[in-house]
Amino acid sequence: MARHQVESEVAGSVWKVEVAAGDAVAAGDVLMILESMKMEIPVESPVDGVVEALLVAPEDQVAEEQVLAVVVSG
Amino acid sequence: MTWAPESEEIRRRRELARQQGGEAGLARQHAAGRLSIRERIDGLLDAGSFQEQGLATAVPDVDDDGHVREYVPANYVLGFGRINGRRVAVGGEDFTLKGGSPNPAGLRKSVYAEHMAMRYKVPLVRLLEGGGGSVRGSGKQGPSWGEPVFAEPRFKVIADAMASVPVVSAALGAVAGFPAGRLVASHFSVMTRDTAQVMTGGPALVERALGKPITKSELGGAAIHAKSGIVDNIADDEADAFRQIRRFLGYLPSHVDERAPREVCDDSPERMEQELLRAIPRESNKAYDARSILRMVMDEGSVFEMGAGFGKGQICALARLAGQPVGVLINNNRIYAGSMTAEAAQKYRRFVELCDVFHLPIVNFVDQPGFMIGLDAEKAGTIRFGMAAVSAAVQSVVPWAVVQIRKGFGVATAAHYAPDSYVLAWPSVESGALPLEGGVAVAFRKEIAAAEDPDAKRRELEDMMRARRNPYSRAESFSVHELIDPRETRPFLSQWVEWIQPLLEGLKGPVRFSIRP
Repeated sequence: MARHQVESEVAGSVWKVEVAAGDAVAAGDVLMILESMKMEIPVESPVDGVVEALLVAPEDQVAEEQVLAVVVSG
Repeated sequence: MTWAPESEEIRRRRELARQQGGEAGLARQHAAGRLSIRERIDGLLDAGSFQEQGLATAVPDVDDDGHVREYVPANYVLGFGRINGRRVAVGGEDFTLKGGSPNPAGLRKSVYAEHMAMRYKVPLVRLLEGGGGSVRGSGKQGPSWGEPVFAEPRFKVIADAMASVPVVSAALGAVAGFPAGRLVASHFSVMTRDTAQVMTGGPALVERALGKPITKSELGGAAIHAKSGIVDNIADDEADAFRQIRRFLGYLPSHVDERAPREVCDDSPERMEQELLRAIPRESNKAYDARSILRMVMDEGSVFEMGAGFGKGQICALARLAGQPVGVLINNNRIYAGSMTAEAAQKYRRFVELCDVFHLPIVNFVDQPGFMIGLDAEKAGTIRFGMAAVSAAVQSVVPWAVVQIRKGFGVATAAHYAPDSYVLAWPSVESGALPLEGGVAVAFRKEIAAAEDPDAKRRELEDMMRARRNPYSRAESFSVHELIDPRETRPFLSQWVEWIQPLLEGLKGPVRFSIRP
């Protein structure tokens, strides 16, 4: 079991959240979509696992390196 | 009477010099999860290829009768060897002795490393672990004698080597002071994730100077330097660091008077990936995976990215195209739309210079919305670093192929073209002084303000401008060489690789750069 903190690579806002806590996800699945510099930026799961927590909601402002979600693998 | 006694003594002293820090020193090193310098050299080089230089360098303690009481080996090991059959020079500190801080014999060999690589025209690999000089000095007795006034500056050869042979450094333990300087004076640097720290000054100095206690890892661990840009890549462990070094050197010539070795390629130059047709979303606000485009176009399995954690809006990689080593650039539209930040610009300039020094042609996939803007970007001095990147591109002497894949806006876009670039465009291309979104609001400010519904007016103007855009005029006016189906990218670029072979032949030798802003 390993907990993976998924960080934002950009400053922006949360546009859509595509998963719920408890969902099973595969590596590369889109967890949420951010908006930054007028671009829609997908945030992908780094691993196969289960979404343990979603730490942001739509329209939240996020900063670079802010933890957006936690995915547990293994 | 023969010279047998002395010859026997020579062998005995060589054996003593090979002992390093003794069993206790080696055990300490292994307990910390790190290899000794000799194990590192064996891990890096082709099996059995190491030829040590200075086999008996040591600091002997001799009694009045001339008998050796104690024999302290030089704590820097140096020699030649082979990587994938090609000759290299390799050296590194022996941390099991005096923590790698140079003793006199070790210091001389470490200073010779760059001279040796340049003299024999081979790449230099530095396997670093050490803290540089100590105020206790290098163990010499008596009054301190400085360097003679006519001595060449110690750092000159380190700078000169960068324009002569490939220089690679690995941080494999704590690296501070002078060794940290050596680490960054490299074309490629790598550090291990859990066992290396890199610091200009270590925790003791920092606490004394700034009054703040801090650990080595907090100060200079991989988490810091993946983002600081002073190391290019992070390695999972020492074996991974050696793999990355071996791989990196495979793209480069052994010295600047040679060309990079072209390999036989079993990936067809005519290969056309269907997925390229959908790689760029039709909606201009939708992001895509830039790295997957490189994988689809370049020779299969040949993409070696450098500096992924620094200046993330610009991706730099070495790769092969029809077997020819090339430098590859692509904007990362997922990081602030790929706009050029101060960090991305520094990374870009350094990468273009690497390609220039070693005569690697450059393939550049452009999706550039412009320089990063905003208060943080102004504080970072973005436009100065940006103009250095532009200067590097327009003064580059290697052949460039530019593929316009989406945006090409503003002055930053000038950084993506060298003189006489071979220019291809995908139908998804859009360019101009400013993107439509934003650009319209600036150019038509009065009309928009005067309208009854300014928002509707702005949208109407944007739609009008968007409808005017068509990709075909670029091909018709020969303002690009070819407008292509994205799937044709690899075949077109592979043809170009054949055309430039005579140009690459003519580039052998050192380059000259002017000072950049």
